[in-house]
Amino acid sequence: MNLQVILDNLPYLLWGAFPEGQLGGAALTLVLSVASAIAAGILGLLLGIALSLSRGVTNAILVLTLGFFRAIPVLMLIFWTYFLLPVAFGIDVPGLVSVACALSLIGGAYLAHAVHAGIAGIPHGQWQAGLALGLSRMEVLRHVVLPQALRIMLPSFVNQWVALIKDSSLAYIVGVPELSFVAAQVNSRLMVYPAEIFLFVGAIYFILCSGLDLIAGFVSRQLQRRSQEAPDRGRCRQ
Amino acid sequence: MILSSLFGEPLAGKYVLWLVDGLGMTLLVSAIVVVLSTLLGFLLALGRTSTLRPLSPMSAAYIAFFRNTPLLVQLFFWYFGLPGLLPEAAMLWLNSPHLTAIGGGIELHWPSFEFLIATLGLTLYSAAFVAEEIRSGITGVPLPQRQAAQALGMTHWQVFVHVVLPQALRLALPPLLGQYMNIVKNSSLAMAIGLVELSYASRQVESETFKTFQAFAIATLFYILVIALIEAFGQWLSRRQRVRGRTRPA
Repeated sequence: MNLQVILDNLPYLLWGAFPEGQLGGAALTLVLSVASAIAAGILGLLLGIALSLSRGVTNAILVLTLGFFRAIPVLMLIFWTYFLLPVAFGIDVPGLVSVACALSLIGGAYLAHAVHAGIAGIPHGQWQAGLALGLSRMEVLRHVVLPQALRIMLPSFVNQWVALIKDSSLAYIVGVPELSFVAAQVNSRLMVYPAEIFLFVGAIYFILCSGLDLIAGFVSRQLQRRSQEAPDRGRCRQ
Repeated sequence: MILSSLFGEPLAGKYVLWLVDGLGMTLLVSAIVVVLSTLLGFLLALGRTSTLRPLSPMSAAYIAFFRNTPLLVQLFFWYFGLPGLLPEAAMLWLNSPHLTAIGGGIELHWPSFEFLIATLGLTLYSAAFVAEEIRSGITGVPLPQRQAAQALGMTHWQVFVHVVLPQALRLALPPLLGQYMNIVKNSSLAMAIGLVELSYASRQVESETFKTFQAFAIATLFYILVIALIEAFGQWLSRRQRVRGRTRPA
């Protein structure tokens, strides 16, 4: 084990050539993951609601489209967005944007099913009670169903975000200088310490992913405690 | 005719064959990884559910580490790092061609280093996911089932083999098939270490012909076809289970 090689390249692995050049390394991985996670979350929420509310042909088309994104490898979708977005729109799409697009689409497709399952898991009486109070379907969804469903969905969202952090490493294939790419770069420049470099990079990803897992576990315990206290508060007000 | 005007010239037969060869490699690697990762995952799940002191935390650590790091980095680690960790003689042997005659004039080629590393890396990664599915299958079997079997005088081992395992596998089957789909999709990452599978072939065809759309469309279609076949197999299996469950009431 040679730790000196890690120390020598530490700034480059963590933030690339940042102050002078482009942001890269672990920092870019973080930026890419956060941007895609937000986009995937919004997309998943909207598509999941659409999946729950649509019927007939619209529903079938939606299911098929989502099935397409779930059936192809992330790598293949990155090829599509990287090589064909510029051709289709006649504009120059940076590698970073095309990868973010691919990650959000795949993440959104998986999350849509989680959201749909979460909404379906809310007892039908909740809908009926909301409608009986004179709320519209959208109002029932927004004020009654979604707040309860989101709590059930939280684990799926976190799993998907962890998968997203890992999948952001695929940006390597189109030359986006995120953590895996700079690691491969450092490795091919030195050629003598591959085990050290990739163990260290693996450790960074491990910290990012399990860190997110820990935070999510904490948040979901907090939510659970609050939902246990909620009935008591309701009784006080009565 | 309309199709060709919409999407440009179709690919020449030679390039379609490249893609078919790539699909063959994807299927071969995936099939081997499915078998090996199921075996390793099963052992890990046993370790995880066992009460033996070092076994359970060790399996848990394995699962956590392999699940929470990207497959790409793992593949790079094995591809670039493993040669330095192995003795030189072993590397020489791995990198030199070997032929094994299996009779009848058929000779078996020793697979390339890329193929071995892709299989190894994918197996170690997927086993962690398979283990979690099998474990949740095992813990999903209701406790009274175990107690009833013990009350009948079965040994610990008999309870596990005849009562817990069959139910656990039935519970774990749908998510396991999902993991097998992931294995097929994840095998695309092996192109990063130079294995000529479907994604690699599609890039090759694309850079050779500049028919970007056709190359990726065919490769994408192949992936969807494989995933759809696994899905259909799962549906067929679950329907058969339901029918059998009805004809033999418990």
